[in-house]
Amino acid sequence: MSFLSNLFGKKKGTASIAKDRLTIMLAHERVDCKLPYLNDLRNDLIEVIKKYTSVDDIKITTTNNQSVDMLEVEITLGKK
Amino acid sequence: MGTIITVTSGKGGVGKSTTTANLAVGLANLGQKVVAIDFDIGLRNLDMILGLENRIVYDIVDVMEDRCNLAQALINDKKTKSLYFLPASQTNDKDILDRQKVKKLLTDLKKDFDIVLLDSPAGIESGFEHSIFLADRALIVSTPDVSSVRDADRVIGIIDAKSEKAKNGEEVEKHVIINRIKPEMVDAGHMLSTDDVLDILALPLIGVVPDDEDIIGSTNTGDPIIRRDKSISAEAYKRIAQRILGEDIEFLDLKAKKGFFGALKGIFK
Repeated sequence: MSFLSNLFGKKKGTASIAKDRLTIMLAHERVDCKLPYLNDLRNDLIEVIKKYTSVDDIKITTTNNQSVDMLEVEITLGKK
Repeated sequence: MGTIITVTSGKGGVGKSTTTANLAVGLANLGQKVVAIDFDIGLRNLDMILGLENRIVYDIVDVMEDRCNLAQALINDKKTKSLYFLPASQTNDKDILDRQKVKKLLTDLKKDFDIVLLDSPAGIESGFEHSIFLADRALIVSTPDVSSVRDADRVIGIIDAKSEKAKNGEEVEKHVIINRIKPEMVDAGHMLSTDDVLDILALPLIGVVPDDEDIIGSTNTGDPIIRRDKSISAEAYKRIAQRILGEDIEFLDLKAKKGFFGALKGIFK
């Protein structure tokens, strides 16, 4: 198996799975730890958007890329 | 004025105390006046790893409660003259540390020592918080596995939120030590590589220590492995100590050992 995989490119080991799982898990956990205000922010956003249109849901996700922290806000509008 | 460096990890059993012991000896050998403090109240272990367990009379709580003075509690390592050790207390009361008293003790030690090296307890309870509160720098020890990296990440977040420096708008200087890496497994794609761990933790690396069975023997005898010659992990610790002091030292080349038979074995695996 390893002989063949050496010939036909490297077989994907379990380490890459570990890395992917960790990256996803930590993206979630970092939110709780670093941004305790996230829930309040979400509620305030809903109030503001309600002034203009109806809103179903707001999803806020964070991404950490080395030294840059980003918030992604996804707003699902409700049916008018 | 000395520097407070906290060795921490979140997860237990990743080699915090072993790392603390070896770096304490390493830094002292580089001419620094070092005090290593065991902050793991109730579960002290650094004493045995340093081989100083038989010389303990007073401990850190005795000092803070004024049952003795600091000089009485400090143990001077006979093999490494500029290394001192302050043991943890073996009390069952894990909340015995008081922030003001810890602060006074560490401030006093900073006046006398170049480096105050704190061995933090595992977990994120009060003992851990005391150990990071006054840290100038933190060394985060992680083994290349999901539990350890995850816990390390959490601990990094807590240091950024709860240390005194963070509260003053400053940042604790943080570095990662990757411990017990097995180059063969990394090559085979079955262990997170150094780069993988650094990508995830997004912190600079200060050292990689290979998995080394000889460390068990050195813990058995209470003689940190850094004192040995011809040991790859000793060399790794020596280089970390130099980097802590700001020297620009090359990282060890930890390549999988593959002789002819190793390669042969690889083919038929």
